[in-house]
Amino acid sequence: METKLSMFFVTRCLALVLALALTACGAPAPAPATEAPPAELTGSLTVLDWAGYDAEDFWTDFKNTYPNVNVNFEIGASDADIYGKMKAGDQADIFHPYTGWLQFYVEEGLVEEIDTSKLTNWDKVPENFKEIGQFNGKQYFIPWDWGFTSILYRTDRVPEGIDSWSALMDPRFAGHLSMWDDGPGAVTVSSYIHEYDETAITEDQLAAIKEEWIAQRSLNLFYWAGEPELVDAMKSGDIWVAYAWQGAYALLLGEGVPVAYANPKEGRNSWVGVYGIRKGTENYELALKFLDSKLAEATGNNVVNLFYYGHSNQDVMTGITDETLKQAFSIDDPAILEKTNFTPNLTAEQRDAWTAMWAEVKAAP
Amino acid sequence: MTSAPSPSPQKMGEGERRAGGGWGLDHRATFRWLIFPPFVWLGLFLIAPLLLMAAFSFRSDLRGDLLQVWTPTLAQYARLAEVGSYWRLLGISALMALGVAVAAAILAYPLAYFLAFHGGAATGLYLVLLLVPFWTSYLLRVMAWKLMLGTEGVINSFLQYIHLIEEPLPALLYNRTAVIITLIYVWIPFAMLPILAALQRIEWSLFEAAADLGARPFHQFTRITLPLSLPGVFAAFFMVFIPTVGEYVTPILVGGSSGSMYGNIIQDFFTKAANWPLGSALSMIMLLATLLFVFIAIRLINLRELLE
Repeated sequence: METKLSMFFVTRCLALVLALALTACGAPAPAPATEAPPAELTGSLTVLDWAGYDAEDFWTDFKNTYPNVNVNFEIGASDADIYGKMKAGDQADIFHPYTGWLQFYVEEGLVEEIDTSKLTNWDKVPENFKEIGQFNGKQYFIPWDWGFTSILYRTDRVPEGIDSWSALMDPRFAGHLSMWDDGPGAVTVSSYIHEYDETAITEDQLAAIKEEWIAQRSLNLFYWAGEPELVDAMKSGDIWVAYAWQGAYALLLGEGVPVAYANPKEGRNSWVGVYGIRKGTENYELALKFLDSKLAEATGNNVVNLFYYGHSNQDVMTGITDETLKQAFSIDDPAILEKTNFTPNLTAEQRDAWTAMWAEVKAAP
Repeated sequence: MTSAPSPSPQKMGEGERRAGGGWGLDHRATFRWLIFPPFVWLGLFLIAPLLLMAAFSFRSDLRGDLLQVWTPTLAQYARLAEVGSYWRLLGISALMALGVAVAAAILAYPLAYFLAFHGGAATGLYLVLLLVPFWTSYLLRVMAWKLMLGTEGVINSFLQYIHLIEEPLPALLYNRTAVIITLIYVWIPFAMLPILAALQRIEWSLFEAAADLGARPFHQFTRITLPLSLPGVFAAFFMVFIPTVGEYVTPILVGGSSGSMYGNIIQDFFTKAANWPLGSALSMIMLLATLLFVFIAIRLINLRELLE
C-alpha cells in the first residue's frame, strides 16, 4: 500500500516536472512517449473570444478533460476589434474570428498552421467546413460555429410576410426597422438586392450603396450592435423588421413572440466562426487540445441548445430533435443550402472602403 | 470699540508670508516630488498615446508591423477633407456640447446655490444624496433613460394611462434630442461641484456690507454672488463641454440611427473598421478643434481677470 502510494506520488511528480519543463522550454519539443494523463496536465491558455463564449458551457469538454489547465478569457467586441487586438500584439493563444476576416490573419502572419493529425474530432467536421479555414493549401483555422443571416420579422405586424432583402428599405416599416451596425453587412444586403457581385463591388456601385443606406437611415430606428438589444426591441414591438442572425430568431420563438425568419428570394446569408492559434505561441500543443475539445459533442450541443447556433461537428447537428431548433436551422429544408450565400472574404481595400462608406452613412446630414 | 487700533489685515498677511519664507524653498522641492508621480503617469498614459496617435494619423494603412518606421503621408487628412459630412458632424457635435454645457451649468446653479446658502447642517447629506446615483454605472443610468423614453416607457405609459394620447409617441427616444436630454441629466451633478465650491468661497461679510448699504437680495445676487461665482460656472461649462464634444456612449444607447456624434465615427474606425490611421486623423482634428475653441473662449471671457 505504502509503496503503491509513493510510486503514484513519484510518477505524479515526474509528470508535473515534465509538464513544467515543457511549458518552460516552450519549444515544440517532441511529445514524450508517455504523456501525462490529461487530468494531470497543467499550464495556462488565454482565449480571445466574443462576450458569452467565455462561459464554461462552451468549453465544457476541455474543462472536464483537463481540469488543471488554467483557461483565461479576453473579450473582443467585433471582428475588427479582435483583429485590431491581435495586430497590436495581444498575447492570447487562441482567437475567434468569423468568415470575411480570416485572410487578414494569414496575410499579416498572425496565425499558426494547425496540425490536424492531433485533432481526434477532425473526422466529424464536413469537408466543406474544413475548406473555410484553408489558405494556400494549409489549414490555418478550425471551423466551429455557424449560422444564417436573414430578415427577422414580427408576424403580427407584417402578416403578409417578407420575401426579399429590400424589406429593410420598405417605407411601410418606417420607424420599425433595424439594420446591423456594420458596413460590410450593408454592402452584402445591397449586393443581394441589386444582384451585384459582392466580391467585385465597383466604386459606382459603392456610391449607390451609400446613397441607398443614407435614404434607409430615416426609416431605421437604430442600428443594433449586440443581439440582446435587437431581441428586446423586437419583443417590445418597437422593431418589426430587422437584419438578424438566427440566434435572435430562436430566442424570440422560445419566448413566444410571434416572429418568422424570412427565406428571401435573393437567398439567405451564412457565416462561419473559426478558431485560430496565434503564431509564436508557447502553448501550441495545449492550444491544439483546446481546439480539439471545442469540436467535441458536449460543447457542440451547448452551442446549439444555449446559443441556437450551428456547430461544425456533424454528429451534433444530426442529433438535434427539438422542433424550435430544427426550424431555426431549417434542418428539414433540404434546399436551404442552395438558397444560401456564404460570406466571402474581404480584401484590405474592401474592408477600408466599405467601413468608411458606413461611417459616411452615419455622418450624413 | 470699532475705532480701536488694530493691525491691518494686509500687514498681518505680509508678516506671515515673511515668516514662512524660511521653508518656502523646501516647500517647493516637496511639491516637485509630489508632482512627479502624476507627471510620469500623464506622460506615459496620456502624452505618449497622444503622440502615438498623432504618428498613426500620418500612416497610409495598418498593414505590416504596428511599430515600424513609416513614411509620413497626408493621405488620411486628404481623405477626410473630401468628406464634408464628417466636418458637418463635428460642428453639430460641438453645438450639441455647447448646448448641453450651457444647460447643465444653468440647471446646476440653483442646486449649488441651495446647497451653499440653504443647506445648513444637512448640506453634506444633500450632497451625498445628489451623488448617490453616480455610484451606479454610467451605462445603467443611460439605460434608465431608455426605460423612461421608450415606446413602452414611463412617459408614454403615463400619457396613455391619463388618455392624453392613444398611441405611444415614438419620437421620444432614438434621436438627437434624446441624446441632449440624457447628457444634460448626466452632467448636472458634476457641473454643480465647481459652482458650489465657488459659492462657498464667497465671504459672508460681503453680503453684510451690501445689506448695510441697502442692497436688496436681488442686487446682492447680481452684484456679488453671480460675479464671484462665475469662475465656478465657467469651470463647470468647460468640464462638461470638452468631454461632450467627443461623446459616443450616449448616442449609441439613445441616439438611434440619426443621433450619431463625431465620437461615434472615431470609435467606428477603431473598433468596427480596424482603420486606426483614419480614426487617428479624425481624433487629431477633434482635439485641435476643441483646443482652438477653448483657447478662443478663454480669451473672450478673460478667465484670469475673473479669477483675480
